[in-house]
Amino acid sequence: MEERVKNGMGGAAAALDLDAELMLRVKEGDGASFGVLLNKHRASVVRFLYRMVQNHAVAEELAQEVFLRMYRSRGTYEPTAKFTTWLFRIATHLALNSLRDGKNEKLQERLDDDSGDLPVRQVSDNRPTIEARMVYEARLDEVRRAIASLPEKQRAAVLMHKYEEMEYSQIARVLNCSESAIKSLLFRAYETLRARLAHMA
Amino acid sequence: MSCPFDSREETLLAYSSGELDRAQAAVVAAHLETCSECKSFVTAQKSVWSALDLFEAPAVSMDFDRRLYRRIEEQVSWWDMVVRPFRVALVRRALPIAAAAALTITAGILIERTGAGPAPVAHPQTAHVELQPDQLQSALDDLETLQQFTHALHTESDSQM
Repeated sequence: MEERVKNGMGGAAAALDLDAELMLRVKEGDGASFGVLLNKHRASVVRFLYRMVQNHAVAEELAQEVFLRMYRSRGTYEPTAKFTTWLFRIATHLALNSLRDGKNEKLQERLDDDSGDLPVRQVSDNRPTIEARMVYEARLDEVRRAIASLPEKQRAAVLMHKYEEMEYSQIARVLNCSESAIKSLLFRAYETLRARLAHMA
Repeated sequence: MSCPFDSREETLLAYSSGELDRAQAAVVAAHLETCSECKSFVTAQKSVWSALDLFEAPAVSMDFDRRLYRRIEEQVSWWDMVVRPFRVALVRRALPIAAAAALTITAGILIERTGAGPAPVAHPQTAHVELQPDQLQSALDDLETLQQFTHALHTESDSQM
């Protein structure tokens, strides 16, 4: 199986993609390997989708669809790319579709729908004061709006670069464009974010 | 002052997020001492990184996996409903082929157990049923499909208990 992974992807680095090896086991009917992959990638997929669509319920629904598609396509899976590239390609595709379908929904409605799910940031070890929480929520709201203001592909690229710590080359493969195009995309995105968030020092 | 970096933005982004190694970072740091434009870039970008750190995601729901596996099972049940009308025909088709495949395997085992030697004269009762490779593959595919249907049947009857 390792030989198949190496030949399918080419290169020493590809041979180390244990996730691809697990997915090949899923292809051969090993349900336990699917569970391992789910356990490993569930959180990152949900996180990415949450930051893309900025709604927890929608993010989890989309994440379910990602893993469902992963499972459904097990019979035809071929390790032609890194496993996470394939996984995030599915996730990005679903997120972009969701955003386009919900185009008419005002941003404020999405942010309001999600306001109850905000993680509470502790100030030191004590419960946050009301004032501290208000300041935190105001800053968080500004960050969310700044990200939401980015065009969808720029948004996806920033989220993968900043939060998933993906390299330019992998982001390029996820978004199906050249590395130079991705760098250009990201630099424009960060320029926008600097304009909106640099004062939050 | 002209910047010495070939990919200025890429280098400064990496520097501001702490991705450069010590030697590279030292080169950039030295440059920032004398380039106000780059220094402003780095200061602003560091603020962006800090701000983005505020955007935490909620934890995944406790019932995420349960809901996912239920959806997977529903997919199998849906498939079973679609093929149910054709199951009898498929079983009727699959059984003779399964029997032929089983016969081949059994004959092979019997021949193997009689020991190696010159090829035996074909006897009607131990005649080797020869299947072409594509016929055997088709038989095995049908066997697998039959097993999946049987499993789905058992899954459905277990869930109804």
